[in-house]
Amino acid sequence: MIADLARLGWTFLWLSVICVGGGLGAVPEMQRQVVDRWHWLTAREFVDGYALSQLTPGPNMLVAVFVGYRAHGLIGALLAGIAMFLPSGLLTAVVARQWGNLRRWPWADAAQRAFTPIGIGLMASGVYTLGRAGVHDGPSAWIAVLAGLALWTRRVPAIGVVLAGGVLGWLANL
Amino acid sequence: MSRIGLSRIFRVFAWIGLTSIGGGRYAFLHDALVVRRSWVRGDEFAQDLALCQLLPGPNFSNLAVALGARLGGWRGALWGGVAVVLPGALVLLALSGLYFRVGLTPGLAHAMRGTGAAVVGLVFVATATIASTALRGWRAVTIAAATFALVGPLHVNTALAIALVVPASLWLERPRRAPS
Repeated sequence: MIADLARLGWTFLWLSVICVGGGLGAVPEMQRQVVDRWHWLTAREFVDGYALSQLTPGPNMLVAVFVGYRAHGLIGALLAGIAMFLPSGLLTAVVARQWGNLRRWPWADAAQRAFTPIGIGLMASGVYTLGRAGVHDGPSAWIAVLAGLALWTRRVPAIGVVLAGGVLGWLANL
Repeated sequence: MSRIGLSRIFRVFAWIGLTSIGGGRYAFLHDALVVRRSWVRGDEFAQDLALCQLLPGPNFSNLAVALGARLGGWRGALWGGVAVVLPGALVLLALSGLYFRVGLTPGLAHAMRGTGAAVVGLVFVATATIASTALRGWRAVTIAAATFALVGPLHVNTALAIALVVPASLWLERPRRAPS
């Protein structure tokens, strides 16, 4: 139990480190660790948890709380959440106060240009991972396409798109 | 040191923590701090956003920490971060409890699958939108495509993929002597 809690904390600390370019980029590695490696939850539950985190306000990496809760109840949720948000937040606070000086260094600008495409590539991989688990037949593919089109028009807020997907899934007996 | 009182920082950030649903969560911070209140200038916001993309950790909470630090020093950073994470954490904890303890009725399970599929469409469009504005030039496109291929279809461990592409990308984008 203690060993598994330590593994849980360590895993989410690690996942927070590789959140380059937003939480979505960490999704492939998160699935690999929490589903395939440590079996804290099934692939189906993981996708449901990510969808719930999209329906929840705040950062989508709150999915850590969902996984932690499944693995070890309240303590697991607390530990996974702290590991995900606290160390990186501390680092950010420290660096943010020095950033004005650091920015004058030419490599700071280069690093920013270098990391942007890596972040985007990782986000695309996150889309791929979620798509493999969440789109498995004709109706689910249609819901994904319709949701994408609805969002693309910018007429519908994201939360409305996600909820409408739920209604369609219910109607289609997905 | 601090520009804005702590309790005002906490209230404004907590409101964002409670209402920022869906994609483009930076937009909520931008709207509240730059557009509506002029607490932060646009260029300061862009600097903090860039910083959070470089640093490890979830970008949205890190951005709240960085902006909180700008507005209220160390305490601003602490309360800014807590205020955007905690409300959602409590909501998701309650939802997790319902999901695992009560379980889903068959109807709800179908609905969850529908939301899961809709999320795929959502993240696809959000990623494509960011890529179309932020990917400039063949170097950036190559690095993004290589990263995707490694982590996505080829199932290479993310850390290994990052270790492979970061040196290549840094070299491609290395500082060049500018006529200044």
